[in-house]
Amino acid sequence: MSEPLLVLDNVTKNYGAIEALKGISFSIGKGEVVALLGDNGAGKSTLVKIIAGGLEPTSGRMLFEGKEFLARSPAEAKAAGIETVYQDLSLCTNVDVVANFFMGREITRKVLGIPVLDERAMEAVVEKALASAGTRIPSLRTNVEHLSGGQRQAIELNRFVHWGGKLVLLDEPFAALGVEQTRRGLDMIRQVASQGIGVVIITHIMQQAFQVADRIVVIRQGVVAGDVARNKTSPDAVINMITGETLAGAGPAG
Amino acid sequence: MNPRTRHALEFVLDNLVWFMLLFVLVVFSIFIPNYFQLGIFANIIEASSVLGVMSIGLALVIIAGHMDLSVESVAALSAMAVGILFCSSGIGMGVQLHPEWLMVPVSLLLALAVGGLIGAFNGYLVVKVKMSAFIITLASYIWVRGLVLVISGGRSAQDLAPAIRWFGIQRLIGLPLTAWIAIACFVIFSLIMAKTPFGRHLVMIGGNETATFRAGIRVNRNLIIAFVLAGAIAGLAGWLLAIRTSGATANLGVGLLFNAFAAVVIGGVSLKGGVGTLPGVYAGVLLLSAINTAINLMGLPANFTQVIHGLLVLAAVLLDAFKQTIRQRLA
Repeated sequence: MSEPLLVLDNVTKNYGAIEALKGISFSIGKGEVVALLGDNGAGKSTLVKIIAGGLEPTSGRMLFEGKEFLARSPAEAKAAGIETVYQDLSLCTNVDVVANFFMGREITRKVLGIPVLDERAMEAVVEKALASAGTRIPSLRTNVEHLSGGQRQAIELNRFVHWGGKLVLLDEPFAALGVEQTRRGLDMIRQVASQGIGVVIITHIMQQAFQVADRIVVIRQGVVAGDVARNKTSPDAVINMITGETLAGAGPAG
Repeated sequence: MNPRTRHALEFVLDNLVWFMLLFVLVVFSIFIPNYFQLGIFANIIEASSVLGVMSIGLALVIIAGHMDLSVESVAALSAMAVGILFCSSGIGMGVQLHPEWLMVPVSLLLALAVGGLIGAFNGYLVVKVKMSAFIITLASYIWVRGLVLVISGGRSAQDLAPAIRWFGIQRLIGLPLTAWIAIACFVIFSLIMAKTPFGRHLVMIGGNETATFRAGIRVNRNLIIAFVLAGAIAGLAGWLLAIRTSGATANLGVGLLFNAFAAVVIGGVSLKGGVGTLPGVYAGVLLLSAINTAINLMGLPANFTQVIHGLLVLAAVLLDAFKQTIRQRLA
């Protein structure tokens, strides 16, 4: 494995008396794609939210690029270079494609010292980004509410590819995509990873995990139930880890 | 449908309230004697300046997905503060400053500060303590009006200092300066909402607060600023109101809140947040004012205004639903 980008060391999260995460330890390398698998309620989304700054862990620590790391807000995580695509889409349907693409990072120019949105520059960037990803949207000035589920998800995916950063977290990114778009999405992930960006992808679909991931991490009842290289395991073995029939290959990553 | 008709149709839908205003003005001009005069039109703009300014603040907060019911009382408190300090009879203390023009910025700053403070209070409770904006600002609506009664003792202040009154008397191209202040506010805030990141963020927060938070936008900070702005703008409306009435009474501006709501809704702002523009709100304000003027000219009892305003709000909401169905066909 290459140099670790993010290391999680015994991260826990309690909701009152309920232990959602009982101590998660694993690491992600630069340019590595890790598929995070687990049954519903295993704690995958909680874990992603902790890394992305949406939730604070109850205990444990994280190292990002070798330094102690804790994001108190999504803004802090973003500033550190962590991009997240959530399961429920994070789009504002009441504004257009361009505004969504640049949400919180608008290009501005100063007019009399006041920052003014540079719509033309932003539109040009979005046009280029969507074209290179092969996504077709009739007009970039249509409000997102008028677009289909697949088009919306494509915007989200293109957004993370464009902004990149150092680590990308994807929480079931292909839920609304068709076969062809999913294939393109998986290609996008490989392409992003080849630029040295770490990728964590949560998915329910075994086939996708085996198609795209370098390593498979299974979470079961708030602990890591398995952490194996893709080429050293099989879908059946992973399913056993998810359901808890075997703990083969279990244990935290070194 | 070819792109050109589609564009034309979208343009009409986006500016529907302006077309309604035009339609109403044409109909009134044809059927009501003496309606078609420059003086009448100037009067429509003049009479709508206080309501217009107040509607801007209300619209900002509603577009951001919240609510501010306190704007009317805040305007009254600001007007009363200005009235007590700078009026020379009634409960006015008749404070004099030298040079005289100094009273203008001082009274204006006082009005803005009073409004801004109450806005900050509302904003803090809504955003940080996470209480419902409806309840918090309803409470403010009540206690701020109470405060007006307390500090005035139910009495009124008259004879505002001439230096301040000057804004209501001095005319530029047929309109008093107070009306120009309202127009300037609409232009400035329309530009802020449409062209700056702050305005864009408010619209997006009103659309999907979770998404904007995840995108790293400082949602809480933006919302508090919106509440402070709504309060300060209501303060400005109060200042204009004091000038217009040359003083302040304890029940000054009662009922303005509902007119402001009507104007905002007619102007195309959705109470669900995230939808609406300020030029539309201005058209809504002018539409209400045009109808009031028509009622006056026709010699109908003034009580009819309220019935008509209510029906107009209903019509606006129905029209909005209708617009949505047309848009869905277009997309």
